[in-house]
Amino acid sequence: MRIRLTVNGRTQELDVEPRTSLLEALRDGLGLAGVKLGCDRGECGACTVLARGRPIYSCLALACETARVPLETIEGLAADGLHPVQAAFVAADALQCGFCTPGQILSVTALLRAHTRPDEPTIARAMAGNLCRCGTYPKILRAIRLAARRSLSNRPTVQPSDQ
Amino acid sequence: MKRFVTTTVEVEGREETAVVEVPAFEPVPWGPEAALDTVGTRVRRLDALEKVTGRARYTHDVRLPGMLHARFVRAPIPAGRVSRLDLAHARALPGVRGVLTGADLPRIPWLEGEPLFASEIHYWGQPLAAVAADTEAIARDAVRLARVRCRPAPFRVDLPSGKDSVRTRHSRVTPPETRREERGNVAAALRDAAVAVTATYRVPVAIHQALETHGSVVHWDGDRVTVYDSTQAIFRVRNELAEHLGVGQQQVRVVTEYMGGGFGAKNSCGAYTVVAALLSKRTGRPVRCVWDRHEECVDAGHRPETVFRVTAAARRDGTLVALDVEAWIAMGVVGWPGGPGKIFQELYRCPNVRVVQHFWYGNVGGMEAFRGPFHTEGAFALESALDLLAKQLGIDPLELRRRNHAAEDPLKQRPFSSELLPACWDSIAQRIGWAAARKRKKATGRFVRGVGIASQTWGAAGGPPAYAVVRLNRDGTALVQTGTQDLGTGARTILAQIAAEALGLPLRDVRIVVGDTDAGPYAPNSWGSMTTASVGPAVRMAAEDAKRQLFEVAAEMLRAQPDQLKARRGRISVCGGAPSVPISKVTKTLGNIMIIGRGHRGPNPAGVTVHSFGAQAAEVEVDRATGQVRVLRIVAAHDCGRVVNPELAESQLHGGIILGLGYALFERLLTDPHLGRPLNLGLHEYKIPTYADIPEIDAKIISVADPVANHVGAKGLAEPPIIPTAPAIANAVFDAIGVQITELPLTPARVLAALSERR
Repeated sequence: MRIRLTVNGRTQELDVEPRTSLLEALRDGLGLAGVKLGCDRGECGACTVLARGRPIYSCLALACETARVPLETIEGLAADGLHPVQAAFVAADALQCGFCTPGQILSVTALLRAHTRPDEPTIARAMAGNLCRCGTYPKILRAIRLAARRSLSNRPTVQPSDQ
Repeated sequence: MKRFVTTTVEVEGREETAVVEVPAFEPVPWGPEAALDTVGTRVRRLDALEKVTGRARYTHDVRLPGMLHARFVRAPIPAGRVSRLDLAHARALPGVRGVLTGADLPRIPWLEGEPLFASEIHYWGQPLAAVAADTEAIARDAVRLARVRCRPAPFRVDLPSGKDSVRTRHSRVTPPETRREERGNVAAALRDAAVAVTATYRVPVAIHQALETHGSVVHWDGDRVTVYDSTQAIFRVRNELAEHLGVGQQQVRVVTEYMGGGFGAKNSCGAYTVVAALLSKRTGRPVRCVWDRHEECVDAGHRPETVFRVTAAARRDGTLVALDVEAWIAMGVVGWPGGPGKIFQELYRCPNVRVVQHFWYGNVGGMEAFRGPFHTEGAFALESALDLLAKQLGIDPLELRRRNHAAEDPLKQRPFSSELLPACWDSIAQRIGWAAARKRKKATGRFVRGVGIASQTWGAAGGPPAYAVVRLNRDGTALVQTGTQDLGTGARTILAQIAAEALGLPLRDVRIVVGDTDAGPYAPNSWGSMTTASVGPAVRMAAEDAKRQLFEVAAEMLRAQPDQLKARRGRISVCGGAPSVPISKVTKTLGNIMIIGRGHRGPNPAGVTVHSFGAQAAEVEVDRATGQVRVLRIVAAHDCGRVVNPELAESQLHGGIILGLGYALFERLLTDPHLGRPLNLGLHEYKIPTYADIPEIDAKIISVADPVANHVGAKGLAEPPIIPTAPAIANAVFDAIGVQITELPLTPARVLAALSERR
């Protein structure tokens, strides 16, 4: 079947089977290799993308279901230079092998859009679905705080959490 | 002087005769006092941008025109024989382009000499055949259409108990093997000992679970076989694959640009690589063969389940007089019999040590090295036994360890190149507030806290052979080529830092290429925590060799002798003098004459042992109502010689500690003893640590350069931090609840059982 996906602000047509997952459509159909397949069973979070701004496991979504949903992948995050979350990951060395990194960054991005200053339980809840076998969690936490601080200091006035 | 010398070298603790290449020159070691610009600084990971933008291309991401997708048909029983393998329906499925069974293969020795795709089945999930199709989904469908009929045979998947082991009938490839080693006289020492404790400890099967599963993409095009592989060993994969395929090594190229984790499980040529190559030859198209998560759990290797019977004996003052350990190790169908007894022989000073190890082979997938193999298992038993002994003696556990500090290598009875374990103990004791925490009166309410410690030692010398080439460009920049690979440890960055330092160039002027057998000379597997200590000196020597040649040209320009020159920050100057010249000006003078530096890793120092050391303390809180253990804090101090990049070193420490935390608290692969198949495949059922599990981690490296170990001064770092984590946590739980739990993981059920035993 032919569907249209809107990814990173661009709408593209592609042929998929009804059973094709969003993950397969993005990786194999659109060549967005930053979306990683770690388990294909909704367990690891390496395939995280943002759908209407919220993180989802693209391995658990059908491509044909997401045809009308605006999607964001890691490829769309950096516009003029790195996104602040990406920059914070680099600064904090919040990556080792890097395989889970795109998914981690997208989950952090969604978290910081919803909470300007997330507390620890909020972070743990928001990020618990993104596994990292290299054990970079302490540095990802550091990156989250760094990105939160930077995005706050970039605002003219400090705003209360918009949750 | 002869360049190639036959001599005796130490390999994994054994003395072997080998050819050693003597370096043409030996750079002056960078000692603790060396003033270095790039080495020792927190430069950013060179590949960080690729990784945060999603541009980094892993083996999983390789897409070649016309590429097919291959999948395995796997054994549906744990032992027996295939009586009929019918692939007619699979072959007939539209989109299927190739099928491979044992009958189609050349004889490729696989399980201990039995061929790949043999009809003898030794474990559930063993590969029996493969199909290749236009898409992954079609290949999966085709596998479902395969009809496999088997005659089952008796099997055994768990450790036999006692005499049972000899009589159990099971299908196996390798017979059980027992190794006995003893120093001193343990029986006599136990007879005379003032105090002795005996306990049985058990650790579970743990699996690596790298997020990028095992896999290869292979294109056999004419006489060239190009392999994109998720591996820790590009050269070993190249050499093994060439042998399996019966082609020359010059025909095979193995590329691993980015790699999504290995942890020990990706150290040789996999069945997926061989099968992808043969299917590529057969179909004339590139073939991708990548395991799914379940296959990763079944067929990628594991840390073996092990049972230890330990007796530790001491004088009243805590001086160890005997360590007696018997271990039963469930290797799986094949494995590498290293041994968890070794840490008993080398961590503490003890004159009488007996180690009896039974390596037992059964009907589950083969064992593979897993970060800190064997030492991690052994450390749990040894360090738990020491805390039991400390309690019996009424001596503080840290004090007991101090009293048995091995200032020399107790196994080989010779000095260490450097050894800072006492400083590690001091550091963690001070940072966790050890004395006060141990004296703290235990709460009697629902939540109780405790602290525990454990130590580690690990052979960390690295060694030859390892090679590097440094080419200087006309504009004064440099290219470093070496056939190592970066698994995410940061090897790329660290080796570039070493080259920049030795050349006197800013890091931005140095480019490094790793992970391509056609683009760099031989470097060893990235295992055994040996990359920095093995490839680091080779890279430095190559850079120093290039610099020596550069100085010959610069000397004339500066009217000085080459040995009076030094290079720093892109300029060559005369030591103690004013004149200087930019490196780029010297290379420009040469035009297209290219300076090529060659470096290799020289032999290890004779007569000394090169080990890393470390200690960790854990603080835990135990919920006495639910049995839940929460780790509040881990404090770590490690001695690994020179640190090339403190930021990356800290990341390595975090990684080891967090793996160790999973091993301590919840990781355990279960196999049904009656069905012979694993029960908890995947990442939900086999739980690994996530954010909510992570305690406060305060990890520090307290060492300085070790110029005796090698001229870079670095010792190994990657594996050591996992070794003491689980025993430190277990000892903290012991401190909290007053009962020792002798089995990992420390599940709520076990904690509750221990608590009820106390009542």
